Amino acid sequence: MPTIAAHRQPDRNFRYWIIAPAIFLLLAVGLFPLIYSLIVSFMRIDMMDTDTSFAGLYNYKQLFKDLRLWQSLLHTLVITAIALPLELLFGLAMAYLFLEKMPWRQIFVSLLVLPTIISPIVAGATWRLLLDNQYGPINQILGWFAGHRVNLLWTINPFLVYPAIIFCEIWQWTPFMFLILLAALSNVDKSQTEAAEIDGASFIRTFRYIVLPAIWPVMAIAILIRGLDLFRIFDIIWALTMGGPGTMTETISIYTYTMGFKQFETSYTAAIAFLVIAILTVVVTWAIRRMGLAK
Amino acid sequence: MVTRRDVGKIGVAAGLAGSTSLAARQAAAADAAQTAVDAAKQYSGQTISIVWEAGLQALDPLNFSGPKWKELTGIDVKVVEVSTAEMFTKIMQDYKSGAGAYDALNVIPSWMPDLVNAGALEDLDPFVDKYGYREELQKIAATYRDNQMMVNGKIYGFPDDGDVFVMYFRKDIFTDPAVQAAFKEKTGKDLAVPTTWAEFDATGPVLTELLKDKGTYGAGFFRQPPYTMFMFQERFRNEGGKFFDADSMKATINSDVGVKVLTDMRAENAWMPPGVEQWGFVENLAAFLQGQTAMTISWPPYGRWAAGYGTDQEVLSWVPKSTIAGKVGYAMPPGGHPELAAGFCLSVASTSKNKDAAYLFIQWLNSESTSLQRVQLPYALRDPFRDSHFTSAEYLAKWPDAKDYLAALQAGATNGLLDLSVLQTDKYEETLRQMISKLWAGDDPKAIADAAAAEWDAITDKIGVDKQKAVYGAWASKSGAYPKM
Repeated sequence: MPTIAAHRQPDRNFRYWIIAPAIFLLLAVGLFPLIYSLIVSFMRIDMMDTDTSFAGLYNYKQLFKDLRLWQSLLHTLVITAIALPLELLFGLAMAYLFLEKMPWRQIFVSLLVLPTIISPIVAGATWRLLLDNQYGPINQILGWFAGHRVNLLWTINPFLVYPAIIFCEIWQWTPFMFLILLAALSNVDKSQTEAAEIDGASFIRTFRYIVLPAIWPVMAIAILIRGLDLFRIFDIIWALTMGGPGTMTETISIYTYTMGFKQFETSYTAAIAFLVIAILTVVVTWAIRRMGLAK
Repeated sequence: MVTRRDVGKIGVAAGLAGSTSLAARQAAAADAAQTAVDAAKQYSGQTISIVWEAGLQALDPLNFSGPKWKELTGIDVKVVEVSTAEMFTKIMQDYKSGAGAYDALNVIPSWMPDLVNAGALEDLDPFVDKYGYREELQKIAATYRDNQMMVNGKIYGFPDDGDVFVMYFRKDIFTDPAVQAAFKEKTGKDLAVPTTWAEFDATGPVLTELLKDKGTYGAGFFRQPPYTMFMFQERFRNEGGKFFDADSMKATINSDVGVKVLTDMRAENAWMPPGVEQWGFVENLAAFLQGQTAMTISWPPYGRWAAGYGTDQEVLSWVPKSTIAGKVGYAMPPGGHPELAAGFCLSVASTSKNKDAAYLFIQWLNSESTSLQRVQLPYALRDPFRDSHFTSAEYLAKWPDAKDYLAALQAGATNGLLDLSVLQTDKYEETLRQMISKLWAGDDPKAIADAAAAEWDAITDKIGVDKQKAVYGAWASKSGAYPKM
């Protein structure tokens, strides 16, 4: 027995040695940047100064005094709170529309999904051109209906800038919702919906008690993915307004980029990044529990 | 500030001390371009990289100067195209990382204190002496030479682009007897190109009223914040404004002058073409070239393209066909002191591993003979910046009104105002850009000026009042900082 144990011991260690490089690589790639950023957030690093001394909690204290930061968070939440339900509703409606067999269904679905595969910065730049007052076709088309020249400054007027951003966002990402929900709806047991129909259940009751429970796990994932994407929204707004007018459409991602790569406040930007990580961790944990995804 | 006389003294002292080699003294007497070429041949086969603004600007080293330098010296030039908004960041990132990816740099003069403070730029004085370039440096127009070349008494960049705002106006409209009569009838005054902002605000709306039916407005400007930020700096100082209280370093952009300038700027949009708030460089150019505006203010390329110079080039196919060639007049913007908006200097990166080769390339680019060819490239955006450029017979013959154009650029070079250049300039400029953006969104001018001043104060406090005061004091003492009232 002791002889056998002595032989087994080296084998067990060998297993660990084999996986050690992979674990080391994963930690180096995944954990090191995070730890390094955390260290940076406690220092005084900016690209314009030679003082890189330890700052303690200074950068974190500054977060609470930074009105522009909290405004950018608010802007992010407003965009998320409006765009996410609209994308879900339109995506669901489109999915229902394409659920039944129809001529050229596959071609239509492929065309509808096109906006999703465009780079968001390109989509934003394209919409900026479309919404341009001088050369953009949108004001021109509105002018045909109005019977006179229409001068709507979509990216400058405070009353138009949010609708413009949200419209672009919905245009690009509703097809993503549509595609996922179409897949989910296709898998709903038709015998149950047909039985409910025969029993005289209304569309809403059928949806509420049969379809929704069936598609909920997929729908919840789609909501979570899009919610996180919206929280990190950058490209479309950057291309459309660069956060303007003033800082009116500045989101947390735009503000973080501005502080990091325009104002060169490296340590403060790291502190903002950890604030965002903390917020998202709380929200995602709550959402996963609430949606029952962890079951 | 180092004057021409000081530079002369330095040259004499260096000569007397015997520190300048015989070869360098011989080089000083020779053409600086040829000197650079001869010295650079020893680096044949090497490659140098240079950061250049992306787009049309970069066509100079890509199509002209880079290949020519290769032909003359055997040195390859790798052009790193970077958008203006990213240039400072890329240069600083390269310096901080110590990568040494860039050898030579294009630097906006207002960035120089920050880049020098960080240590990113190489002191060029030793190279200037070594390769005998001082004499030709003196022939750069005084405003650029005296204000955009040095930091703390040392040369860190060669001014290489005569960026200056010029007012372009339609001569045919201002000399049209019918328009003149109608203007006189409406205002009781003779129609003239405005020389003050008060005159501009009195002339523009009347021209709009008289010409709108024919599709022409009194004026149009680029109004996007990055451009208007420069126009605000110019107008604010022409109207008597100062950026800071020199003693306390408190921001004074929210003074009565600042608020008036903002208020007037927004009021002007009402008689400019609809949607002017969205106009950038191209929209404003298109409107002027298509005859939709009677006056505009912009950088020098507008004047060349309005005359039709170079617009047959394929790379300028996006420039609308000028309908106003031969009808354009050139003047100083109201106030008489135009903004030397942006501009470029040629520098050597302190982390370069090929400093001599990089220096020789920028000396050759900046030399009298090479630069004269470069400022005449129809597709590139380098503007005249040497005294000899303004009087070049070759350039004067480019189009019938070229003499008026060059005279306006020369006047601008004489009276021009420097962009504000202090520590962390971009933070102050970013505040101005935000201020303009809020102005177009309809916010109260006084409130946004106060908010901008408060932000400036916070930036100054963070940098350190005394530290910034010293840098601002040095900048404010330059001849082009504020107009002589």
